[in-house]
Amino acid sequence: MDQARAKRRARSPIAAAGLAAALVTAAAALPALAGAGGAPQRSQYVAKLERICKPGARATQRAMRGARADLSSERLAVAARKFGRATRIFSATVRRIAAVTRPPGDVRQLRKWFAYLKRQQAYLRRITDHLQARRAVPAQRLTARFIHNGNLANNVVLSFGFEYCSFKFSRYG
Amino acid sequence: MPAGRRAIVVGLAAVLAAVALLAAALAGPAQGERKQHANVIVSLDGDVSPLRLPRGRPAPVALKLDGGLRTADGTLLPRVTTVEIALPSQGVVSTAGLPVCRTGRLRYARPPEALAACKPALVGRGTLEAKVLLPGQGPFTIHARLLFFNGQAGGGRQAVLLHAYTPRPPIVVVVPFVLRRRRGDFGSALVGRLPPALGPWPRFAHFEMTLGRRYRYRGRRRSFLSASCPIPPRFTAGFFGLARSTYTLAGGRRLGVEIVRGCRGR
Repeated sequence: MDQARAKRRARSPIAAAGLAAALVTAAAALPALAGAGGAPQRSQYVAKLERICKPGARATQRAMRGARADLSSERLAVAARKFGRATRIFSATVRRIAAVTRPPGDVRQLRKWFAYLKRQQAYLRRITDHLQARRAVPAQRLTARFIHNGNLANNVVLSFGFEYCSFKFSRYG
Repeated sequence: MPAGRRAIVVGLAAVLAAVALLAAALAGPAQGERKQHANVIVSLDGDVSPLRLPRGRPAPVALKLDGGLRTADGTLLPRVTTVEIALPSQGVVSTAGLPVCRTGRLRYARPPEALAACKPALVGRGTLEAKVLLPGQGPFTIHARLLFFNGQAGGGRQAVLLHAYTPRPPIVVVVPFVLRRRRGDFGSALVGRLPPALGPWPRFAHFEMTLGRRYRYRGRRRSFLSASCPIPPRFTAGFFGLARSTYTLAGGRRLGVEIVRGCRGR
């Protein structure tokens, strides 16, 4: 009896160490398993986002058609309505792409990109408000910032090679 | 410092910061706009001067562009077969009364000889960088000096003749950039096909160019390039697509990037 207990006692640290090693291995393997099923590769992520952005980009182009001519003819209220529609499309797109699981290696870069996109959203909203209030010069100043910020956003995700999810001024009239 | 004076200083700093921010936005990002297509990054930067332009009529301008290609991982650049530089609709290209240079006068001519033959037709200058990889040798970079002349391409089509000269190794290349009219934001484009005689070794990397020429014709002042800033009186500045560069690679793939810049109404 005592001999068996002594054997168990002698084996248990080995068994415990083995169990711990197995747990560590399993824990290490978990992210990899999650990666296989959940977290996407960059190319998959880009493809998924482009599918979401494409209809939004086209809808923005349609919504903003003639906005430049409206501004040139000082039809600020008409332009404001178009900017309002573009803001809603942009916000909905950002909400949808923000919900997509990000590739683990790109999380920091994408966090920065989404920060720029949120700023873009705010600029669009403020441009709309200024145009509605017929305040041309503040709207024009914000447009300069909107373009600059859009270019900065593009630079952050340059290596992703986005087409529809990238900022393009020509979509805005 | 008294409180009133501090408030003025703070106010002035805020105004300066706002002006700097607006200037940065009007000028675009420091490296210009960039776009990545697979492994290749296309970049373009530029501006038009003067920035302040009449709202209702075109005024003489000079256009400065700086752009090129690079690979994201530093590998060899792809071979470019066609370069296209699209210009905005509110810009006007005028060559009325400007002498025309013939391609034959530029071939085999170094820059001093090219200028001696065609200086009255000069419409721009620039530089070009290309990577060369000769079989059995390490890659090296060539720097070329560019001159642009008003000229004609085959069939009498209006063109800008690009004269590129590199002293080491001594090479002269003349490429006609045909002026084509387009629809949309970019109303005209200069399209140049790189001659196959250049071979597969030189890879276009970077260019810098300034186009602009003021001259007199029949007692009137004229300009090769003119532009307006068509904005209503209520606005002080406007934004427009200034240029778009498109490269066609061997194999037919097209890569491009466009830049947006501002103008101020006069």
